[in-house]
Amino acid sequence: MAKFTEVLYDDYGQLFGVDEVFFEHRTDHQHLLIFRNSRFGRVMTLDGVVQTTERDEFIYHEMLAHTPILAHGKARRVLIVGGGDGGMLREVCRHQSVEHITQVEIDASVVEMSKQHLPNHSQGAYDDPRLELVIADGMRYVREASETFDVIISDSTDPIGPGEVLFTQDFYVACQARLNPGGVLVTQNGVPFMQLAEVKSTAQRLAKTFADWHFYSAAVPTYIGGIMTFAWASDDTTLRQVPLATLQERFQAAGIKTRYYNPAIHQAAFALPQYILEAIGK
Amino acid sequence: MGVVTELRPDRFNDPGFVNDLLRQHGSPLLVLDCERLREAYRNLCASLPGVTLHYAIKALPDPTVVATLAAEGACFDIATSGEIAMLQSLYVNPRNTIHTHPIKRDRDIRDALRFGCTTFVVDNSDELLKFVRYRGRVALLLRVCFRSKDAKIDLSKKFGCPLEEAANLLEQAKTLGLNVKGLSFHVGSQCSSPTAHVNAIRSCNALIRKAYSEDLAHLGILDIGGGFPAAYDANTPAIEAYCAPLREALSELPAWVETIAEPGRALVADSMTCLSTVIGRARRSDRIWYYLDEGVYGAFSGQLYEQLQYPLTVLKEGPLQPSVLAGPTCDSIDIVAESIELPELEIGDVIVGRMMGAYTAATASEFNSIPRTPIIALDAPEPQQQVAYIA
Repeated sequence: MAKFTEVLYDDYGQLFGVDEVFFEHRTDHQHLLIFRNSRFGRVMTLDGVVQTTERDEFIYHEMLAHTPILAHGKARRVLIVGGGDGGMLREVCRHQSVEHITQVEIDASVVEMSKQHLPNHSQGAYDDPRLELVIADGMRYVREASETFDVIISDSTDPIGPGEVLFTQDFYVACQARLNPGGVLVTQNGVPFMQLAEVKSTAQRLAKTFADWHFYSAAVPTYIGGIMTFAWASDDTTLRQVPLATLQERFQAAGIKTRYYNPAIHQAAFALPQYILEAIGK
Repeated sequence: MGVVTELRPDRFNDPGFVNDLLRQHGSPLLVLDCERLREAYRNLCASLPGVTLHYAIKALPDPTVVATLAAEGACFDIATSGEIAMLQSLYVNPRNTIHTHPIKRDRDIRDALRFGCTTFVVDNSDELLKFVRYRGRVALLLRVCFRSKDAKIDLSKKFGCPLEEAANLLEQAKTLGLNVKGLSFHVGSQCSSPTAHVNAIRSCNALIRKAYSEDLAHLGILDIGGGFPAAYDANTPAIEAYCAPLREALSELPAWVETIAEPGRALVADSMTCLSTVIGRARRSDRIWYYLDEGVYGAFSGQLYEQLQYPLTVLKEGPLQPSVLAGPTCDSIDIVAESIELPELEIGDVIVGRMMGAYTAATASEFNSIPRTPIIALDAPEPQQQVAYIA
């Protein structure tokens, strides 16, 4: 059987049996591949690095969508930067209280290919009338747009590649300007056991910008090397201290059925191992 | 000068074959023989069993060459982002590549990482520091320099750390948390004797064992570079004879060391023939001058950069006389052969240049606004889209 070898690390990596290749294409921005693996279902890779799989994507998308939205409690307007596979949009759309969603994706072909070859990710969410899909550079959008949001979710690729700019101080500052009072920014921030430098640099940049910042975590099997971190940044210091009972009320009111997220996980995810606390200077 | 007594028989002695090609594609013309390329690859593999060959793309950065070698199972040595772009367009698996330029900008490192190439070469402390931020992803080869008096082109002057400094750099890498997984060296290009190669392998062997016993680094890869000679003239050792003492030296390495090599010239030199045409002639002092449509600013550029002479023949016979072959540009340096014995030629006659695959088209320019000579391929592989990253 053909094997896909991830090319992230020189001396360590994951190998997937490839049942069938659905799609391979070099776009202007990146190299895109979608294939089927018997264990993980459909797997999408960009530049040889696994981005998402059908079987474990729920962990990532639920944690990056529901955690900020339920901590906020009354998010009406949500901005998704990246997320072309549609999984993040699907989870955000499940919140009936959200009135408007803007998604800014740099590469139109990722959206089209995902609709066609990863339909279980978006599950029709691209047809949601609350969505405004903008095909543009995320950095440029947050710098130039005038709209503001309650929650901004940065669902980017790794910092080497087109997602690079979404890890800069400029991006965090521009996002802060796009947040309503009481708003929160969350970003995917890699696997710290493997790439501690990324967590360190994000921490330094957020500390210069936001009144309150931290990371929370979840283990996503195909983001290999242990837990991954999500960055959390807000000028509202209470958002990280929402009592469990309040989260439970909001979760119930939202009426969302999840497979990973629940209020206890929400709170616990902010407890970080010592090696990460040390790296971020907390 | 320049004329070799024994040439391997090929189709380029046949005026019908040559004229057909020129009628179809115009003159001048570079003709790539993919079957000869495959043969050269297989020969070198057979002479260096167990050694993984990474074709040094710089020698002839041609997509058909890369596709032909990829189909044979070759790996690739890349030095620039332009070379990476070509490999990407040909769906070469980045796992089969190493980035060997010892001096890199941050952008070069990132381009390679994005492609999926994670092995890099370094030779000094500044370069080590450039990799600290990527240490979770990369592994390094430390390039050591060994000067060779037998190399036509010395590659150990510009790059490579002196052997005495290697231990210090390994120590520094260890302190920085960088994984140095092996050593590399280049004894030069077009080496006339394997002595320097053998000595370098033995010196690296000692360093590998020292680094292991002192727990400095586990150097599990030895990259013996290129330098394998192409048979431009009868004095050049055959590949098999050149490699025999290398095999012996390699057999002395610890069993856990994997060997790789970066041949460029040895793979492509013999695969390309240059056809050019006499476009003018004049008798100046005691010699007859023939002006060609190809010269040292074009495919004969290796004569300028490498002081090489390629075997030249013509397609007619007759009494020989000392002749000059000059290129088409206005520059007086543009002379292909200063004193070559040739039968009398007429305008329209063809000059056949053999062994013109390595550092010929690669280093040609468009001086005088003369366009680059096109390359056509014989026996090219069927176009085949392989899925990168999947093997």
